[in-house]
Amino acid sequence: MLLSESARVTTAQEAKFRIQYPNSKPRAVKVIALDTQSAKLVDEVSTLPWNGAAFFKSLSFDAAKGTNVKAWLNDLAGHTADLATEVANADCVVVISGAGQDAHSVSLIAELCTQHHKTLVALVVPQDAARDDEIDASLRILRPHAKMLVIAHGRDYIEAMLTALRA
Amino acid sequence: MLKKEQNELVTQTGPGTPMGDLFRCYWLPILLSEELPENDCPPVRVKVMSERLVAFRDSEGKLGLIDEFCAHRGVSLWFGRNEECGLRCPYHGWKFDTTGQCVEVPSEPVESGYAKKIKLKSYPLIEKGGVLWTYMGPPERQPVEPEWEFCTVPLNQSFTSKRLQECNWLQAMEGGIDSSHVSFLHRGDLNNDPLFKGAAGNKYNLADSKPVFEVVDAPGGLYIGARRNAEEGSYYWRITPWVMPCFTMVPPRGDHPIHGHFWVPIDDETCTAWSFDYHPVRALSDNERNAMKDGKGIHVKYVPGTYRPLANKDNDYLMDRAAQKAGKTFSGVEGIGMQDASLQESMGPICDRTKENLVGTDNGIIMARHRLMRAAKALRDKGELPPGLTVDHMKVRSAAVILPPDQHYKDAAKEALIAKEGVRQASV
Ligand code: FES
Ligand SMILES: [Fe+2]
Repeated sequence: MLLSESARVTTAQEAKFRIQYPNSKPRAVKVIALDTQSAKLVDEVSTLPWNGAAFFKSLSFDAAKGTNVKAWLNDLAGHTADLATEVANADCVVVISGAGQDAHSVSLIAELCTQHHKTLVALVVPQDAARDDEIDASLRILRPHAKMLVIAHGRDYIEAMLTALRA
Repeated sequence: MLKKEQNELVTQTGPGTPMGDLFRCYWLPILLSEELPENDCPPVRVKVMSERLVAFRDSEGKLGLIDEFCAHRGVSLWFGRNEECGLRCPYHGWKFDTTGQCVEVPSEPVESGYAKKIKLKSYPLIEKGGVLWTYMGPPERQPVEPEWEFCTVPLNQSFTSKRLQECNWLQAMEGGIDSSHVSFLHRGDLNNDPLFKGAAGNKYNLADSKPVFEVVDAPGGLYIGARRNAEEGSYYWRITPWVMPCFTMVPPRGDHPIHGHFWVPIDDETCTAWSFDYHPVRALSDNERNAMKDGKGIHVKYVPGTYRPLANKDNDYLMDRAAQKAGKTFSGVEGIGMQDASLQESMGPICDRTKENLVGTDNGIIMARHRLMRAAKALRDKGELPPGLTVDHMKVRSAAVILPPDQHYKDAAKEALIAKEGVRQASV
């Protein structure tokens, strides 16, 4: 039988000829912990080797300098970065929240993501003892803002996800 | 993206591989009952997870699944004579029962007991819901029998088909939990396919092609919720369960039967895509059953006499560029099942995941892989049994519901996600 092109090219033999070159440039993933519980997780994850992912563990606000609230991110080395600039330079923004923790700062981050057309992924990482109503409370706050909302048990999922995203 | 070693870990299911050992914890569907229709019918060759086996139904109706090759000199027992409670090799007449025990070696005196010392490897084979299931793991770990709703409802409420898919099981299964492809690949079929059209929910699907997602760790696997806007600030949710390692369900539409899949490795480069349709509370209508037999919905038309789809890679899946251009089908391939299969096969026999570029909305797939790798390692390193083995993990359903914005589907649709006898599916 004369094989069709599809039959020929889907063999293992032909799969070997998939051309070898990078098909993407590194993307800037910004990982922001929304509370102290998740800051600890982010701290641990950040010590692994990443392709330029940036990790931030707290947000602070500064309303004194005019009408606009200015938000600052603190990275793990204690440096301060301007939230707006970080979001503008991101390809993907990941926020991490512990269950039942105060996650309200997400709205400011989300606003900037919308403004700059960035995808916001939100991870709720409940501790073992977390109650359902605490998880719910976090989801309620995050739901209106995230394109993808994930409840993931355990720190290892943060790692797995960032690896999968080539962060 | 997966690293090369990770990709090998999740895709290889042969004997002795970590993922193979994980799969060998479960009952898996391997044949349709119709393939062994009566006592002493012809035996059937079947390859599961890179093991070549032969299945038969003996003179008393007992089911057997044994090593395909005769213990004497290796002839395929597919040529065997299925007679008088055993399968007899046509070469020199050795005979085996459903447990693989050799019961006759004609050249040796019966009194010598020679036959008793010969036994082929065998696995249990049971029949449930029109499907034959096997368990290929250690006997002491054999779990409870399959309790999936599609195989426990009365037979007149269900229809199950299978098709050969010419690629690794994982890329096929990943299509089952990849809710974001529906708005593209299958968009032409929502209002046309007899098993999909007419549902109120379809309009939300078509009006809002940018759903947002919520992925939740469940005890047996995952729930993937896709949320679209409905009326007055409420949300239309489509919720897909995935149960370890290879069971997925599609959220229902209107009163159409609910459907789903099992993705069972044949070897590392082919799998069987099982497609089931059932209605929890009523018999399927003749129209529905005929449409399913005719390859509509998630089912396919076959090359006559086989379980190979009629549209397959040897005929370029009957690619219709005019239909593609006109938007009748998005990819040019007809039928939901073959739209998925054609693209998944095009990835190559084993998709090279070192080259992919996943996005945030791929979290369902990322999490499923993560759970699979974690479970395979826990089994290998600590002997920990994986999720998906208990009745409560099997009693799941997909659902389509409309919820107020502040409610989480995991709680608000909690009951809808559990399969309960006599209770209608939650559907829009
Ligand atoms: S757009 Fe998803 S595989 Fe090409
Ligand atoms: Fe599909």
